[in-house]
Amino acid sequence: MLSQLIVYISVALELLLLFRGFREKLTSRYPAFYCYIGFVLVQDPLCFFVYKWIHPFYTPVYWTAEFLCVLLSCGIVFEIYQVGLEAYPGTARMARRVLGIVFAIALARALATDPRWWVETSAKNVESNLRAVQGAAIISLVVLFLFYSVPLGKNLRGIALGYGLFVCWSVICLTFASSTIGKTHVLFGYLYPASYPVVLLVWLRYVWSFRDNPVPHGAVPLEIEYQQVARTTHRRLQDAKGRLVKAVGS
Amino acid sequence: MIGIPTALLLGTIMLLLLLLLAARGATAAGELSPRSDVPLLDDETWVDLCPPEYVVRIFSPEDCEFVSTSKSPQLEKLFRRERKLVALAWVHQTSTALRRIMREHTEATRQSHDLHFATETKLVLVYAELMFLCAMLFLAIQTAGPQRVRGLAVYADTLSQRLARAQQDLKTITAGREFHSASS
Repeated sequence: MLSQLIVYISVALELLLLFRGFREKLTSRYPAFYCYIGFVLVQDPLCFFVYKWIHPFYTPVYWTAEFLCVLLSCGIVFEIYQVGLEAYPGTARMARRVLGIVFAIALARALATDPRWWVETSAKNVESNLRAVQGAAIISLVVLFLFYSVPLGKNLRGIALGYGLFVCWSVICLTFASSTIGKTHVLFGYLYPASYPVVLLVWLRYVWSFRDNPVPHGAVPLEIEYQQVARTTHRRLQDAKGRLVKAVGS
Repeated sequence: MIGIPTALLLGTIMLLLLLLLAARGATAAGELSPRSDVPLLDDETWVDLCPPEYVVRIFSPEDCEFVSTSKSPQLEKLFRRERKLVALAWVHQTSTALRRIMREHTEATRQSHDLHFATETKLVLVYAELMFLCAMLFLAIQTAGPQRVRGLAVYADTLSQRLARAQQDLKTITAGREFHSASS
């Protein structure tokens, strides 16, 4: 019952998100993000249909769709990097190197793991690890955004925020769900999909209407700089004159 | 492959960073207004690094020894209090100047087309080390007094001066390149 309710709410919110995206022409600005939303919109009813009518196929269908979803969501991370750092080639260069290091470490860890792990482990575990790599990539990007004071527009900030929260929650829930048994396992099984409507609400708040990314200004022209210095000097001279008059008068 | 502690650590770091990103979002837009690259008279954040001779003097035990020859406990107490305040002010001034240098550097490099990853990483590490040293110095001065941390203070000052010089050189090179590309 609870799972069904989560699915209904999610589908309604996704439809609203897509509707607003098309209306505000945000779909062309953030294609990867809206592709992901579109895919999840199809995935939810499809899995629900399979669960209801072809139940034996539910598990493979669900995890295949979930895996494709994780792959598609990599596009969101790439879009955050691409759109956010469009006007900042220096930071973009740093981001490419840092992300390269993150992926190299992830690959090295994957290669160092026992090859049987990939065969024997559960789909939940694989997804948890893929989400962890995405999480590390998001952490690197956010650190660079903050360190280089790269301002993000409301839309992109919302996409990064919502997706980051979703990945963060996914990593924790999936790790707990695959490492625990009994009631805790069931609880985390529910908590994972339950976070998605919350993330959709965050996205709706931030991408309700189109807001472009702030464009950086160049250096201050010399004349403006000169005028600023002249204005300040004039004001200080006035202050000094006032004090002098006061001192002479008293 | 990842355990519960790693997942929790990753989740916590991510959550904190995202909260910081959300909080910073509103203020970041204001930082985009054109800013001068020379210190204007009204710029209160423009703090320069203290000359190295001053640092050696502030943390030197000579003054303390001289005051102690007066055999006046009150004078000695007053001197210790004042010197501690001066040393703390120096730490504060140095960390403010370092933040200013780094802000200036990131503003210049984020739009640079020829940024060097290795140089940039080195600068960030030196900056992190200096900020850590400032925090350590602050604690050490509070607890042990300035005379006992002379070596650390001189080291921090040398490193700060080096960072400031590196940033200044980088600025000169960038400005020269921009001037050259504008004129050609």
